[in-house]
Amino acid sequence: MRKLTLASAILASTALTAPAFADGHLMIVEEPLELTIHMHWPRAQGYGVGGSPSEIYPVEMAAREMTGIHLVDQTAGRNTTDSGEAMNLLLAQGNMPDIVGGHLILQPVNEFGPQGAFVPLNDLVSEYAPNIQAFWDENPEILAAITAYDGNYYYIPYLPDGEFGRAWFIRQDWLDALGLEQPQNVDELYDVLVAFRDDDPNGNGVQDEIPYFARQWEEVNRLLTLWDARSSGSDTYHDFYVNDESQIVHPYAQVAYRDALANVAQWYEEGLIDPEIFTRGSSSRDYLLSENLGGMTHDWFASTSGYNAALAETVEGFNFIPFLPPASAAGVRMEEHRRIPVKPDGWAISYSNEHLVETIQYFDFWFTEEGRNLANFGVEGETWNMVDGEPVFTDAVLNSDRAVNSQMYDEGAQIQRGYFQDYRYEWQWTSQAAREGIELYSANDLLVPQFLGVSLNEEEQAVYDRYWPSLRTYMLERQQAWILGSGDVQEDWDDYVETLDEMGLEDVLEVMNAAYTRQNS
Amino acid sequence: MSIDPEISGARTEELVIEAREAQRDRKAGRIQRVGDHLRREWQIYLLLLPTIIWLLLFLYKPMYGLQIAFKDYSVFRGIADSPWIGFEHFETLFNNDQFIRAIRNTLIISVYSLIIGFPVPILLALMFNEVLNQGFKKATQTIVYLPHFISSVIIAGIVITAYSPSAGIVNTVIGWFGFDPVYFLTRPEWFRPIFIGTGIWQEAGFQSIVYLAAIAGVSPTLYESAVVDGASRWQMMWKITIPSILPTIIIMLIIRIGNILEVSFEMIILLYQPATYATADVVNTFIYRQGIQGGQYDLAAAAGLFNAVVAFVLVITANTISKRYSRTSLW
Repeated sequence: MRKLTLASAILASTALTAPAFADGHLMIVEEPLELTIHMHWPRAQGYGVGGSPSEIYPVEMAAREMTGIHLVDQTAGRNTTDSGEAMNLLLAQGNMPDIVGGHLILQPVNEFGPQGAFVPLNDLVSEYAPNIQAFWDENPEILAAITAYDGNYYYIPYLPDGEFGRAWFIRQDWLDALGLEQPQNVDELYDVLVAFRDDDPNGNGVQDEIPYFARQWEEVNRLLTLWDARSSGSDTYHDFYVNDESQIVHPYAQVAYRDALANVAQWYEEGLIDPEIFTRGSSSRDYLLSENLGGMTHDWFASTSGYNAALAETVEGFNFIPFLPPASAAGVRMEEHRRIPVKPDGWAISYSNEHLVETIQYFDFWFTEEGRNLANFGVEGETWNMVDGEPVFTDAVLNSDRAVNSQMYDEGAQIQRGYFQDYRYEWQWTSQAAREGIELYSANDLLVPQFLGVSLNEEEQAVYDRYWPSLRTYMLERQQAWILGSGDVQEDWDDYVETLDEMGLEDVLEVMNAAYTRQNS
Repeated sequence: MSIDPEISGARTEELVIEAREAQRDRKAGRIQRVGDHLRREWQIYLLLLPTIIWLLLFLYKPMYGLQIAFKDYSVFRGIADSPWIGFEHFETLFNNDQFIRAIRNTLIISVYSLIIGFPVPILLALMFNEVLNQGFKKATQTIVYLPHFISSVIIAGIVITAYSPSAGIVNTVIGWFGFDPVYFLTRPEWFRPIFIGTGIWQEAGFQSIVYLAAIAGVSPTLYESAVVDGASRWQMMWKITIPSILPTIIIMLIIRIGNILEVSFEMIILLYQPATYATADVVNTFIYRQGIQGGQYDLAAAAGLFNAVVAFVLVITANTISKRYSRTSLW
């Protein structure tokens, strides 16, 4: 360790491109300090390349040199990919590492933090973590959203950057072939989809086109926004949202939903929506695009744009591009989906940690400029260089066969520690078509406020747990039945609302609004 | 009858002492007998040992955790330190219409599977037994065993494709007769036939092995004497084969009844949709959605405990009935 520092110090004094960290101004401890960590997330079940504790991340090596803190893997539940299960295993076995990190830790830290499993961070951060504190000062609503019911917060979240996630995509070459313009409102969209269905835009002489399709059947609900209803308040499907009166409500209990769903059901009956949307599954985008069958979808900018290059050879003239959300019946253009500004992922300090100050200073390190670059782009000089004050990936990274994010996961960057993502990381490898789409979407005011969740106390959580899973089941059951045409939403509506009432929707909304008021007071 | 009390008393005393001694002797004798037995048969018990250890570790030890069904369980506090709350979880369950519906669906699916699915492997075994061409017999047996070894995920994929309205073979055949395609997997009325049919297709072949083994155990002399008496093959099947394997059939039936609430729910999870919950949602899928996904282990444990109690009662009942009427039983 000392040798390495010495070596880099010599390097710093001799080379022109001195690593920024060589001067040691970010050093937290004089003697190297080992902290154990649980890090469990979908891409890796462990803190090391591919989850293997013996292969130390290059980013971790750099962080060790910069801070003197050595993270040592102690991940539980390595043989499951379900991070929630791994967390439960960790809590149940009792032997907690110093740092607990990874996927979906918000709910457990807010439930078990107040019971004593995790350390509240409020005072630690305000005293020892100026960079994190600065972020909270700028984004108080995010801090409110992750605060537990006891008023403390228990983890430092992964904070995604960037705004747009999904967009409406359409086969521009099909529009051109039929002599149509991009649809600007819901009525024009209807006409375009009818034309896709009837006028054989793929030119094979068979009516086999699927006008609207989606990889996740839930995306059929995005069409609800075309008639001014909502399908979700966050990037989780079927989530609650905050209405204009600052009340938490559920989209599927609104009158607007009734009328919008009747229209969606109509479209489904007319064959404008993939008849097999409920069972086609995640490969439907691959299949319908490569077979030249799908006309329009609602999906992620980057991955969906990628089909233009992938299918350029096989599907003649293939041009699948993002277009502006058509104006709704009431004339509103809305993109309901966006990247959520805070994830339930990140890291927390467990009760067994004996170095609280060093740990929080270490967490803060990742919010410094150097730390943030390290967390986003990997080690400077290895995977990226500073060009005109901008971090730019090396050609080797950008032109590799592997996607940049996969490469970063093996570097130890972009993993689910508590850090603030930098959108420049993704922009550099976003295709030209997607960039144009994102710029188009950004130029228009399309986004709606996100519901970031509420922290329920134990009694409220009990009410929520008792009623919500069954309510959700019932709502989805009715929703699919209406879309599939067994039952008429207009006729069934009063019974439906009454049943929701009997099943406790009011109780759920009451506890959520109570928590929401407490959170924002 | 009059007896001299004095003589009688002394005599009784003697008898008691004698009896005690005899008992002591017998006790020693029993222990010795068991010891001899073990010394003679220790290899057999050694073979049994791993199973017993497995049972203790994986079935008896976890029973300690069943108590969370009556507790407000927190993984951090642990099983012992979570507070007792009595029957609250059971109340929650039985006040939930979806749980009641799940019980009903479980029973309907199980009873249909039992009525339709139970005789199939027996018929298969009887048919295999009558096949004379060994090559054909082996080939068909292998074909019907195969689905058992395919993972549920793949089976579900095959089912979804087979019943697809656009590309599925089922709808293609329906189309030949001029009918419109049916989107089977979103229609509640079709879920049970598809699920039960798939289950039979997947397991009947493998289950027939037990009956084939039982048939192989029937003494050939019975058949030889039947041939001498001029019995037809049909008569031999009815009068010899089926009565001989009847105990096996009944044991299998009792086991099946005991597992009646254990629907293969991983298959249901892969095949169901909110649109088909009305007929497809069973107790285990309900537990999965409500309990495991939501992290409510205590509630899930309560539902699981209820399941186990019902299964236990069913096994006891089936066994008792069988013992009384057919003299065949598990114990």
